[in-house]
Amino acid sequence: MLKVINGGIETLVEDWPGRLGYLGKGMAPSGAFDNVGLGFANLLVGNPAGEAGLEVTGGFFQGEFLTDSVIAVTGTDMKPSINGSPIPMWESVAVKKGDVIAFSHIGEFGFRCYLGIAGGIDLPPYLGSKSTCIFGSYGGFDGRKLQPGDEVKFAAPRGKLKDLVGRKLKKEAIPEYSREWVLRAIPGTNTSPDYATEEGMDYLFSHTFRIQHTSNRSAYRLEELPEGFFARLDGGVGGSHPSNILDHAYAMRGALNICGNTPVLLIADGPTLGGYMCALSVINADLWKVGQGTPGRDFIRFRVCSQDEAVQARLDRKNLFTEDALV
Amino acid sequence: MRIGRTGHGIRSVVQQTVKGKRHMSQGKYNVILDTLPKTESRLEVLFRQGGDGFIQVEYGREQRAALQDSFRMLAVNDIIHAKKIKGLIETVPGLRTNLLHFDPTVVDVPTLIAEVKDAEESMPSVDDVVLSSRLIHLPLAFEDSETKRAVEKYVKEVRPDAPNVIDGYNLEYIALCNGVSVREAKDMFLGTEWFNSGGGFWPGGAFLWPVDPRCALVVPKYNPPRTWTPEGAAGIGGPCVFTYTTPTGGGYQLFGRTAPTFQFSMKHPIFKDGPFLYRPADRVRFHEVDEDEVLWVHEHVHKETDYEYRIEEGKIVVKDYLAWLDTDEVREGIKEQNARREEGVQKAPRL
Repeated sequence: MLKVINGGIETLVEDWPGRLGYLGKGMAPSGAFDNVGLGFANLLVGNPAGEAGLEVTGGFFQGEFLTDSVIAVTGTDMKPSINGSPIPMWESVAVKKGDVIAFSHIGEFGFRCYLGIAGGIDLPPYLGSKSTCIFGSYGGFDGRKLQPGDEVKFAAPRGKLKDLVGRKLKKEAIPEYSREWVLRAIPGTNTSPDYATEEGMDYLFSHTFRIQHTSNRSAYRLEELPEGFFARLDGGVGGSHPSNILDHAYAMRGALNICGNTPVLLIADGPTLGGYMCALSVINADLWKVGQGTPGRDFIRFRVCSQDEAVQARLDRKNLFTEDALV
Repeated sequence: MRIGRTGHGIRSVVQQTVKGKRHMSQGKYNVILDTLPKTESRLEVLFRQGGDGFIQVEYGREQRAALQDSFRMLAVNDIIHAKKIKGLIETVPGLRTNLLHFDPTVVDVPTLIAEVKDAEESMPSVDDVVLSSRLIHLPLAFEDSETKRAVEKYVKEVRPDAPNVIDGYNLEYIALCNGVSVREAKDMFLGTEWFNSGGGFWPGGAFLWPVDPRCALVVPKYNPPRTWTPEGAAGIGGPCVFTYTTPTGGGYQLFGRTAPTFQFSMKHPIFKDGPFLYRPADRVRFHEVDEDEVLWVHEHVHKETDYEYRIEEGKIVVKDYLAWLDTDEVREGIKEQNARREEGVQKAPRL
């Protein structure tokens, strides 16, 4: 068990692939924003890759362990420490009852870190997932971010704790972080020639967009599009703006919604249906990079990707979380 | 900032696009993977790429809002579900599109499209289009104290001069926009079944459309939106009725309060398989009750968990519906209501 001392900016229980199958009921998949970070944290402590862990966004989380356990921290380097002494990232570490874990703020690269716990987090799944939907206030820990005094229970570890200590990721297996995240994407559902101009689509796939400050777990907002993007003068019965369309379901997670003139990446807790066109979708295997994109600081660039490449990338990701990745 | 060559304005770009439309299969960013031609019983079907795990099935190229398109699409949707396609995670119907969400490591795109085409072709004529549709009876208290409180809060905290608030409520405004009296507006809410074309906007929510177009009411949404709406609030925005599943903000004009249609805890037996009441293709019929009865229903859904929802199994025979739409009586009624609305729109204040 972990007793929260400081919830930090936003610390959530998340798993992967999240709550699938409820888009039509208005429920986003949620799930770990960086599923690769969570996957490695779980691998290191002997859990299945999709087990629930803690997603620490922004930093400043602090908690006291009320039981002995084995943990691993992955993601952005928030200078994690136990009782004030730094602990290594990307490897499993033993903790004792009474130990206090603390995180500083985000590192030079990335925005979120993951705390994997041997056995995972003991919470009843809601509609098939332990993930928190912060936007809808359900799932995870009471549907909210962690607060001081919360007691997060751990499930039984898969193996003896002492055997889980000292597992370390190979250096070459650690994901590469950047300030400019290149996201592979598939055009659609609304592109040129009928909704956008070809020049407009070219712009989307060549411009480097700064991630706006107003981004959150539902939406990553990018810079406004220039004039000439739209192929239509208005949205017809969908509305007066050419980005309007009769309400349709959004390809959540990953769709790039064109909301007025603002491109908005719909991710994690994002809306599942609405009246704006979608110009492209980030492939599932690259969603993790969005979660490490730091609002106000980092940039996003889209690169056209084929279906075959996207499927191969999914298979490659699945194969990341094996013992082969460990030293 | 402008895209493209210097002096290459929006207008010339649009003209090019209109020309290019005839050759939709060409172009650098073509996302239409496949099509099915228009037939007597359906519009052209387009299969649009929407990511590595999504295909959007679109009906027709025109943005049109017609209930019969939704009836047919949902009937096909039932057939798709009955196939139990491996790797298909879910389908998300809108009004004229159906989003297929799948795991591409389990099922590939051509297989999925072939399955949907097969479902489409199994309904070759309009006689074949029959949709299973439950009828849910819901109690409705017009202008109850809880939704009145939400309007009051809006005026106090968000927009003191809101022109859509007349005598502290939205019903008068709804009536005004449609050229009818408040009593007539109420009778229109009560006088038709409201068809759920699908959910997806908010947990458990449904977009409800009037089956009888003579009862169609159209209103603008709040500007700016409300910060609070009670659970069970019944509102209308554009042509759609929405019953609020949880307390939340919102932009629909409020006309009353109904029973809970969602329960996070899944304690009540109707919610034992999921927190949602509505399914796509459900019809809702409201009957007028007083406010105390609605409060009693909420108590007996959430606390006592013994309220008995009245739900009938049923179906929509699309051919019969279209024939009924085409009767003189209905056609005249639609025309009259459209004329009243046109007049009303002129008089109603803009938001």
